[in-house]
Amino acid sequence: MSVIEVKNLCKTFRVKKKEKGLKGSFKSLWQPNYKKVEAVQNISFEVEKGEMIAFIGPNGAGKSTTIKMLTGILYPDSGSVSILGLDPKKDRKKLAYEIGTVFGQKEQLWTHLTPYDNFKFFGAIYDIPEKAVEKKIEELGTLFELEQFINTPVRNLSLGERIRCEIVASLIHNPKILFLDEPTIGLDPVVKENIRALIKRMNKEYKTTVFLTSHDVGDIEKLCKRVVIVNHGKLVLDDSMENLKYHYLNKKIVEAKMKEKVNLEGEDGISILKDKGYNLKIEVDTKKKTVADALKLLNPDNIVDINISNMPLEDIISTIYQGEDK
Amino acid sequence: MRKYLFILKSEFMSSLQYVFNILFGFIGYAVILFVFFQLWQYLYSDPNELINGYTMNEMVWYIIVTEILWSSLGGRKFCTKICNDIKSGNIAYNLCKPYSYIGYALSSHLGSIIIKTVIYILLGMVMGFIFLGEFPAISISSIIVVSISSLLALVISTLLILMIGLFSFKIEDAQPFYWLYSKFILIIGTLFPIEFFPEIVRPILGYSPIFAICYGPAKLFVHFDFFYGLQVIGIQILYLIIVYFLCLCLYKKGVKKLNVNGG
Amino acid sequence: MLTAVKNQGKVTLLNIKYALMREMLNKTTFITNIVFMILNNASFIIQWIILYSIKDSVGGYTFKEVMLLWGIAAGTYGVSHFFFEKAYFLSDTITEGKLDVFLVQPKNVLLSAITSDVKTSALGDMLYGLIMCLVANLTLLQLFLFLFFCIMGGIILTSFAVILGSLSFWIQKADMVAETGNGLMTNFATYPDGIFKGAVKVLLFTIVPVGMVNYIPIKLLVSFRLDLFLGIILFMILGIIIAYFIFYRGLKRYSSSNLMNARI
Repeated sequence: MSVIEVKNLCKTFRVKKKEKGLKGSFKSLWQPNYKKVEAVQNISFEVEKGEMIAFIGPNGAGKSTTIKMLTGILYPDSGSVSILGLDPKKDRKKLAYEIGTVFGQKEQLWTHLTPYDNFKFFGAIYDIPEKAVEKKIEELGTLFELEQFINTPVRNLSLGERIRCEIVASLIHNPKILFLDEPTIGLDPVVKENIRALIKRMNKEYKTTVFLTSHDVGDIEKLCKRVVIVNHGKLVLDDSMENLKYHYLNKKIVEAKMKEKVNLEGEDGISILKDKGYNLKIEVDTKKKTVADALKLLNPDNIVDINISNMPLEDIISTIYQGEDK
Repeated sequence: MRKYLFILKSEFMSSLQYVFNILFGFIGYAVILFVFFQLWQYLYSDPNELINGYTMNEMVWYIIVTEILWSSLGGRKFCTKICNDIKSGNIAYNLCKPYSYIGYALSSHLGSIIIKTVIYILLGMVMGFIFLGEFPAISISSIIVVSISSLLALVISTLLILMIGLFSFKIEDAQPFYWLYSKFILIIGTLFPIEFFPEIVRPILGYSPIFAICYGPAKLFVHFDFFYGLQVIGIQILYLIIVYFLCLCLYKKGVKKLNVNGG
Repeated sequence: MLTAVKNQGKVTLLNIKYALMREMLNKTTFITNIVFMILNNASFIIQWIILYSIKDSVGGYTFKEVMLLWGIAAGTYGVSHFFFEKAYFLSDTITEGKLDVFLVQPKNVLLSAITSDVKTSALGDMLYGLIMCLVANLTLLQLFLFLFFCIMGGIILTSFAVILGSLSFWIQKADMVAETGNGLMTNFATYPDGIFKGAVKVLLFTIVPVGMVNYIPIKLLVSFRLDLFLGIILFMILGIIIAYFIFYRGLKRYSSSNLMNARI
C-alpha cells in the first residue's frame, strides 16, 4: 500500500531581482524585476508503507518545496498529492495528526525546558491523554536512549542529544510518516552513526515510513533502500540503492603505488583521475576494458601497493547532478 | 576617513530599498504631530497668545523640528543592534578589522538614516505649512546654521545611544536604560521648550543632552539669532568630543573584559 | 467540539506559561524590565503636570481622568502585549516562513502563532494600570469594570494587530504598515478625545478603535451606560471575527502563493 502518492507535481515561484549599484537600487524601487523559478516540475513518485526513502538533490533543487507541499504548508500549482489517502491542501489539520516532521535547522523544542516537559507539550498539541504520553515518553526514551538527560534543559544538551529529542518529540503522536529534513546536519561522525542506528531501530519497531532529505551520503546509504534524486525541480532518478550502485559498478577505481612511472594517457576505457608520478588513481570502464587488462598495462611487477574499489556513492551522486547540468 | 564614508554610502544605498517603509513610517510621525497640533490648538485660546514666550505657531514648529530629529534617528533599533552585537559576541569580529568600532557604528548608522532624515525634513516642513499656513522667518544664514546644528544634533544623538548600547558590556541588557533615556528626551526634550519647566530645573536641562540634541537646533529654527547660533554650535561640538571619548572609554574597557573572558 | 476547544485552550495556556518561564530565567532582567516599564509610563505624568499648569481642563478631562485614561491605555496594552505579543510580530512570522512550524501542528495556527511569546515589560504596563486605579481611587465595582475593560481592550488591540499583521500575506512590506498602525493606537490612546474634532473623532471610534478601547471605558467608569457597554462588547466580537477571517484568507494565499523570497 502506498502511503505517499505524488502525481505531476508542479510549483513555480517568482523571485525579485535586484540590479547592482546605486542606479539599480533606485530602479528596483520603481520597476521591480521578477524572475520565474520553476521550483518543482512535474514530479511523480510513490512511497510504500514502512519504506525509508532518501529524497536528495543539490541546494535549490526543490526538495524543501516538495516537502512543504507534502505536509500541506504549500499548495501545488498543479498535480496531486495524497498522503495516507488525505489531500494535504484540504485536510492539513487531520494530516498533522498522522505525520511527524523534523527540520534539522529549525528547532521546535523550547530550549529552556527539559526534554520531558517538551514531550508533554507536544503530547498536549496532539491531544494525547496524560497517561498515554507518559507511557510513550518512557518507551521512546528507552528506544532513543534519552534516560541520562531527559530532565536536563534542552539548552544544556549537545547537538546530537538535541536532535534525538527533536526526533522523539515528532514521534510522540505515533505518526505513520516521519519527514526528516537534514537530521544529521552539523553532527560529528560518531553521533551521526548513532542517530542513524536509532532511526533504523525506530523504523523497524514502529514500521514508520521515513522520508529523508540529506546532503550526507552516509545518511542515505546507511538508512535508505531507495533513492529519489531531484535537480532543477525535476525528478532525475527514482531507483533502489542497489540499482543505483549497480549502474555504476562497471566503473572501478584503481589506486596504485608504483615502482616506476607508467603512461596510460589515451588508453581506451581508462581515465586518469590522479597522476602524481608514482601514485596513480584511475577509473576503469569494465565494459571497454577488463580489470585484468588494466592491471597488465600497469605491469604487476611494478606495483608496490594496490587498491581496487567501486565508485563511492558520493561520486555517483555528484556524477548524476553534473550529468544533469550538461 | 575614506572607509567610513564608504560604509556610510553602502548603508545609504541599502536603505534606499526601504523608501516605501520610510514614507509609511512618516504616517506615524504625522499622527504624533497632528495630535500635538490639536492639543496646542486646544490649549491656546488665541493663536497670538504667548505661553512661556511662545506663540502657538512657534510651539508647533518647535515640536516639528525636535520630532524630526528624534524620529528619523531610529534610536531603539540602533541600540538593540549594539546590545546584540555585544551580547552575541559579534563585536569580537570587529577587533580584527582595520577600523574603529565606534567609527563603523556611527558611519553605518548615519548612512542608514540619511534618506529617512531628508524625507522627514521635507514632509515635516510641508505638514507644518499645511497646519499653520506659514514658516518661521528664514534667511540663508539661518538655514545654514540650523542645518549644521541639526546635523551635529543627529551625530551626538547617535553617539549617546551608542554609549548606552555599550553599557551592555557591564550589564546583561542595556535596553531598559535606553528606554529611560528615550523617555527623558521625548517627554522633557521634544514636547516642551526648556522655558516650560520650573526655574530650578532649567539650568540642569540646559546642560543636559537635551540642549545639544533638541532645544538648541529647534529654538534656532523658530527664533533665529546668529550669535546664539554660534553659541549652540560651540556647545554641540564640545558635547560631541566628550561623548565620543566616553564611548571610546567604554568600548576599550569592555573589549578588555571580553578578552579576559575569552569572548 | 468541546474537547477540541479544551485541548486548544490547554496548548495556548502552556504556550504562555512556558514563554513566561523563559522570560523568568534571568530574574534581574525580568524585574528591571517590569520596573522600567512602570517608570517609563509614570514619566509621562510630567507632561500632564506641565499641561495642567497651563490649563485646568484638557479636552474635557480632569487630571484624575487623564490618569485613569493612562491606566486603561497601559492595562489594555499590557494585556495584549503580554498574552499575544507575537501578534505584533505577525508580519515577521509570515515573511520569514516561521508559520510553517505551526502549520504542521494540528492546532489553531493563528492562536499558536500569536501566543508563542510573552513580553515581560507588558507586565509592568498591567501593573501600572492597577496603580492608576489606586491613584484614581476607584470603588470595588469600578475596579472590576476597569479589569474587564483592560481584557476586552487588550483583545480588540490584538485583533487590530492581527488584521494589520495579516496584510503581510498580500503586501510585501506590510510590517511597516502594521507598526505604524499599532503605534497610531498608542499615540491616540493617551490623549483626551476632547482635543480632537470632526472626521478624526469619527475615525477614532471606527477604523482606529481607540474610542472603543480607551475613551468609552473612561466614560463608562465615570458614569455607566448599558447601551455603550454592550456596544463595545459587540465591537470586540466583531473585531475577533474579522481578524480571524482575514488571517485565514491570507493563510490560504500564503500556501498557494508564488511570490516568496526565501521559499525555495
